[in-house]
Amino acid sequence: MTDIILALLSGLVGGIVIALLPQASNRLRNTLVLLFSVAGAVFSWRVAGTVFSGGTIRLSGEIAGLAWSLQPDPLGTVFGLIVATLWLFATVYSFGYMADEPRQRTYYAFLLIAFSVALGVAFSGSLLSLYLFYELLTFATYPLVIHERNDEAIRAGVKYIAYSLCGAGAILIAIVVTHGWAGSLDFAGGPLLARGGLRPGLGWLLGLYVAGFGVKAAIMPLHRWLPEAMIAPTPISALLHAVAVVYSGVYGILRVVYSVFGHELMAQMNFSRALPWVAGFTILAGVIIATQQDVLKRRLAYHTISQLSYILLGAFTLHPWGLAGAIFHMISYSTLKITLFFGAGIVAKQTTKIRVSDMGGVGWQLPWTMASFGVASLGMIGMLPLNTFWSKYYLMRGSVAGGKWPFALVLIISGFINALCFLPTVVAAFTGDRDQLSREKGGNVTLMVAPTVLLAGIAVLLGLWPGLVWPGVEAVVNSFFIR
Amino acid sequence: MTAAIRANLPVFAVIAPLFVAFVLPTFARRTRLVEGLVIFVQAVGLWGTAYLARLVLAQGGLPIIYEVGGWSAPWGIELVVGNLGAFFLLVVAGVSLPVAIYASGNLAKEVEGARRRAWFYVLYLLLGGALAGMSITNDLFNVFVLVEVATLSCCGLVSASQEPSGAEAAFNYLILATLGSGMILGGIGFLYIVTGHLNMGFAARALATVWQDYPHVVWMAISFFMVGFGVKAAFFPLHIWLPDAHSVAPSPASAVLSGLAVKGYIICLMKVLFHVVGPELMQVFSLNRLLVLLGMVAILIGSILALGQDELKRRLAFSTVAQIGYIFLGMGLLNVKGMTGALFHIASHGIIKSALFLAAGAVITQTGKERVSELAGVGKKMPITMGVFTIASLGLVGIPLFSGFVGKWYMLLGSLGAGDYLAAAVIVAGSVLCAGYLFPVIRVAYFEPAPADDWQEPGVRQRLALILLAMGIFVLGTIPGPLLELALAAATDFLVFN
Repeated sequence: MTDIILALLSGLVGGIVIALLPQASNRLRNTLVLLFSVAGAVFSWRVAGTVFSGGTIRLSGEIAGLAWSLQPDPLGTVFGLIVATLWLFATVYSFGYMADEPRQRTYYAFLLIAFSVALGVAFSGSLLSLYLFYELLTFATYPLVIHERNDEAIRAGVKYIAYSLCGAGAILIAIVVTHGWAGSLDFAGGPLLARGGLRPGLGWLLGLYVAGFGVKAAIMPLHRWLPEAMIAPTPISALLHAVAVVYSGVYGILRVVYSVFGHELMAQMNFSRALPWVAGFTILAGVIIATQQDVLKRRLAYHTISQLSYILLGAFTLHPWGLAGAIFHMISYSTLKITLFFGAGIVAKQTTKIRVSDMGGVGWQLPWTMASFGVASLGMIGMLPLNTFWSKYYLMRGSVAGGKWPFALVLIISGFINALCFLPTVVAAFTGDRDQLSREKGGNVTLMVAPTVLLAGIAVLLGLWPGLVWPGVEAVVNSFFIR
Repeated sequence: MTAAIRANLPVFAVIAPLFVAFVLPTFARRTRLVEGLVIFVQAVGLWGTAYLARLVLAQGGLPIIYEVGGWSAPWGIELVVGNLGAFFLLVVAGVSLPVAIYASGNLAKEVEGARRRAWFYVLYLLLGGALAGMSITNDLFNVFVLVEVATLSCCGLVSASQEPSGAEAAFNYLILATLGSGMILGGIGFLYIVTGHLNMGFAARALATVWQDYPHVVWMAISFFMVGFGVKAAFFPLHIWLPDAHSVAPSPASAVLSGLAVKGYIICLMKVLFHVVGPELMQVFSLNRLLVLLGMVAILIGSILALGQDELKRRLAFSTVAQIGYIFLGMGLLNVKGMTGALFHIASHGIIKSALFLAAGAVITQTGKERVSELAGVGKKMPITMGVFTIASLGLVGIPLFSGFVGKWYMLLGSLGAGDYLAAAVIVAGSVLCAGYLFPVIRVAYFEPAPADDWQEPGVRQRLALILLAMGIFVLGTIPGPLLELALAAATDFLVFN
């Protein structure tokens, strides 16, 4: 009980402390930021320990007569762990990346507050609290998106807020309807709408939910804000726009499918048959557009759009294997994508090269960085020694077992296009003039390279021993399929 | 003595501010005393209304009926402190007190001369007394008198700022509002012709039996009421006077005008429509559809017009037009949820819009900048003021934890319950547009570099008032308790027991 409160508060309190701290003391601030992030992560892990060992943590109350609750179930806990762990890496990377940037106080304050809010999304036990934190996440991350404060950043910020609020509006209407039909918004008692069975308008409701959460999950055609938001500093692009914020959308859709409708009801609905096609389309279209992008961060953004739909596809198969693949992909994709973004950030910072076409030979200047980047690229294709191999395996297995075999094909084709998307860059990086000076020296660079290499290592480790995270995945699947 | 006061509390709620208002000019030059007395009267008023509200809640919604002068209805005038009356009395008292505290600190910078300021307070108390009267009177002619008192004091408040545009705005308002008063009087006249009663309860009973004999007269009466109160409540498309009047008035006046005065007319209209005309008759005349339709248009057009305003107070004034649309929409849904949402929105918008106008007023008096685009960096120089502005904005947009969410939640429940999906979509779209016109202010204030000017936070009293209002927004959003209960009970009174 106290663990969950402390996990949620450490970021918020930290953010407020940082905001009130005078601008001057850089070192002290970084120490405090690290301290609060570690605290948040430690308490999240303790929450996870309780949940996975079979305990329940529940915190509930009323806002204006409406019941809310915080009750992490296995799915929420997995999301929370991803957020809490990767936040640490991104924080350390930020120390290096942001060292000579202006407005660090605002940056770290909102980074910490956003940490709290993202954990809140993960640990929510009812639609109401999920909605609250989902809305707050938009506002908490907005200052990070417009960190550059130039016209382009402001425009990206407006787009981000506008898309998110429209999505949240759709969700609010859907929640009101759900409240009317189910009488409760709490996830703890099994799928909310399952008891009512099929009824007219259910498809519309699902559509509203998917459209609402789909904004942050960047389902095409609701993805337009994401490439624009790449104007943010790289750690933000890596953490928020590849993992935390976009995952809150994905997580919302997983919740809707498995906790609001339930897989049995979903299987009876005609509308749910269309959803894998939307995800399949986004997978292919996203990665194809990604190959056309010359600016590396934009390429990564479109690639994110494609990869998020892998997770959604797994969820939409409505099959245990598919869900297992989706959860596994949530874990494995996040490690790899952050590695890719971190790599792109180091290249941009150390060589000022942001375009793929300029990156010939950077591998010799930044060997560790580009090696990690290469490893992550292999992962995006789904090669064996990497964790994404397993997620793809289960996704395909789920598609076939769920009677949706065309999507196994989509995944294979997407793998090939992924190869086209990243391998040329990696190969080019390691061709050309070998005798260049290394640019990986100096304290700040180490702070950036170390998390990158470490994450690539974790990805390989999870690829070799997928059993490390399998119990978590299994718990999630069991929580929805075995009741 | 106390028993006598307690027994006569309903009439004191109206008379006390009026009485103090008449006394104030005798010592107009002693500003301190004037301010102290105004704040004292408001504080006592808040205490008294809280007592009345508790009494009503304890009686399970049974109204406290007070017969003025001992004359019983239908001959005498009745004051009825029911759920609705207690609810709106609480709103009026709860908003007036912080605004009075703020005014005591800020008015010296907005209105010149001690005498002029004393007259401002006279009008302020007259308005408060009239609003209190509107919330509890049960007599149609009394409604007209109170509406006139409120209208004239509003005009005075608008022109209290000595700008030439203030006089112009007040004059425009005066003409339209007088037209509205005439309409209301006409409506009352027609109703009296048909029913022979001015007491709302008796008129309602008579109307229910005879309206089929005089459908056209009743139709005229309702139209007159709709237009008359519509003008005064700035219901789209009769809102044209509002942006000028509310943006040019001194900030405490803007706060009560936008936060309370327009709501007073809406409460009166609600009483006439639901207590006298009744929901069944409203459906016969398709009034509910008209209310929903115009409400939706008001939300959209008001918000879109607000988007285009660079002058901060004008932007807030257009926002009021949109928010009034919400209240009418909730009213028109004709179900308890929608009505509760509309009533709660009266309270939450009252407190939020007052906070916004007061914060804007503080920014304007401290910096001299009136335009949103000139406010770069204000958030860093005036953290409390802009902090309250931010909380109020989140409240108006309807983020959970803040009061705006509760009203919108009930209105959404109501519109979906009525099967009106378009209305639900408009309610949500209004929220997004609201973010569109309020968040740029916050962005400019916090995320643009501050100029070197030495801008200071306003004085202690202004800060105290702002913080009180911000706390109110938060409390109403998390534990609205009695206020929500009263709104729910009042909505049930309107729709079920008729």
